[in-house]
Amino acid sequence: MPTLEDDTLVFRFSEIDKDASFSIDFQRTLRIPDTDKTYSLPPGLGSFPLRHAEDFASNLPSQTSERGGVILPMWQAEAMWLHFRNDGPGYDLYFPVAIKIAAGKINAVTGETWRPGLHRAPQDYMVSPDQPWLDGFAIEKGVIRQFVAMPLGAGYSVEEQLTSESEWGGIQISITPLKKHVWKEKRAAWEKQRSLRLKRERICYLPSKSSMKMGLAAGGRMRQKIYPDTFNLGDWDQASAQRVFVTLVHAKDWKKITGDAAPNEPPTAKEYSAAGLPWFEYYGKDREALPGGEKFGAIKSVVKIFTTLTGALLPNSQDIETGVPHAVGPGSKGARPVRTSGSWDQ
Amino acid sequence: MVPAMLNPIDITLNATYIGNMQRTDRYTHNEAFGENIRKLREQRMGSDQTFSLRQVAARCGVTPAYLSRVERGDVAPPGEDTLIKLAHELGEDPDVMLAQAGKISADLRSAILARPQLFAELIRAIKSMPDHAVLRIVRDVRDGNW
Repeated sequence: MPTLEDDTLVFRFSEIDKDASFSIDFQRTLRIPDTDKTYSLPPGLGSFPLRHAEDFASNLPSQTSERGGVILPMWQAEAMWLHFRNDGPGYDLYFPVAIKIAAGKINAVTGETWRPGLHRAPQDYMVSPDQPWLDGFAIEKGVIRQFVAMPLGAGYSVEEQLTSESEWGGIQISITPLKKHVWKEKRAAWEKQRSLRLKRERICYLPSKSSMKMGLAAGGRMRQKIYPDTFNLGDWDQASAQRVFVTLVHAKDWKKITGDAAPNEPPTAKEYSAAGLPWFEYYGKDREALPGGEKFGAIKSVVKIFTTLTGALLPNSQDIETGVPHAVGPGSKGARPVRTSGSWDQ
Repeated sequence: MVPAMLNPIDITLNATYIGNMQRTDRYTHNEAFGENIRKLREQRMGSDQTFSLRQVAARCGVTPAYLSRVERGDVAPPGEDTLIKLAHELGEDPDVMLAQAGKISADLRSAILARPQLFAELIRAIKSMPDHAVLRIVRDVRDGNW
């Protein structure tokens, strides 16, 4: 079973290897302008707080408690990205996992409705550590639309657009480890090579109850590849998969639910860029990207729906200058920085 | 309530793993901490020249002279921010490095100060448990119906 540690979901597979673990945290970030322009990667501004849903069952709709998992506060039109971290027996050998992510039970890689298990043609999951993060819905090859929170039931979420229902909202996560024998072979090969090379990858981390829930809608366009799986489908131990339901609640309700202050609203992309702070470009291994979910072709972005509904432009939606992005990833010299200290509490 | 003469942080530190260092002997403690930092840095430098004293100091935002004094044990371990940078530089767990320096991170400190007696009792209760038993205390995220 996954555990919640320091606002991070940790998935351990000790039956496969005592060192095998993987974790996900949910990074606060800027909402990029939702225009025709395709943006670089925005920064991580610290993790969202997470709490066990069952600890606050009396303050949540019964449906949320029944789903279990964790709760996370987001402001309306706030963006997020998912930060993946693999652990392993050494700093150059990480335990690989297959990650399935859905929002409102719509698969973020394919646009298909959530179903158990891993599938190819189209590949409906990512493999980490190749995939270090996910910022949104994979709408086309090398491009995603940013995850942006909007109230469930208002017609913005991708779930509502594709299914005409606002049943689930939130984020659904399933993590599948490698089969024990596949991992043992990989580890044995690494241990054989270990004495021959000493390489270090440096990681520089530097209202009413029903209206509480949020769903993820499609925000601005961002350059991000989803990489194809290099393992065989049969290498994954699907019987050992672990899963979590993350319910998104409106940040204005967070104190009422948990007693803790809600995080402040994040800066706008315009404020961030005006301060001269960096944007990022990921340089991965020279690999092809998956094509993106065909079903996302019909999705309307938050700004388009907002304009249709109100006749106005969503604030902070104009294009901005981001300058030359900083290179990050294995094809560059560093990792995407994540602010790990400090507090967003009021 | 915790008795007035006892600082809750000290209670926790005394009960927390701090390696084989004795917090009461400050000179030995500084020296042991510095030696450990130097050893870790020199190990890295064996395969990567960017781990020179000068370059590590620059990346951690301190002067080479200061880092050299820390490594010799001439001064007390640095503050929390620098220790965390050093831990990341040297591939160490920040909490372990803070504990070796006789410190605890600000977030843990505030958690303990919010409920000092509870945490002191908890740490005393689990201090001799094996790791796997301690890990069981970290609660699973319950899965439900979806």
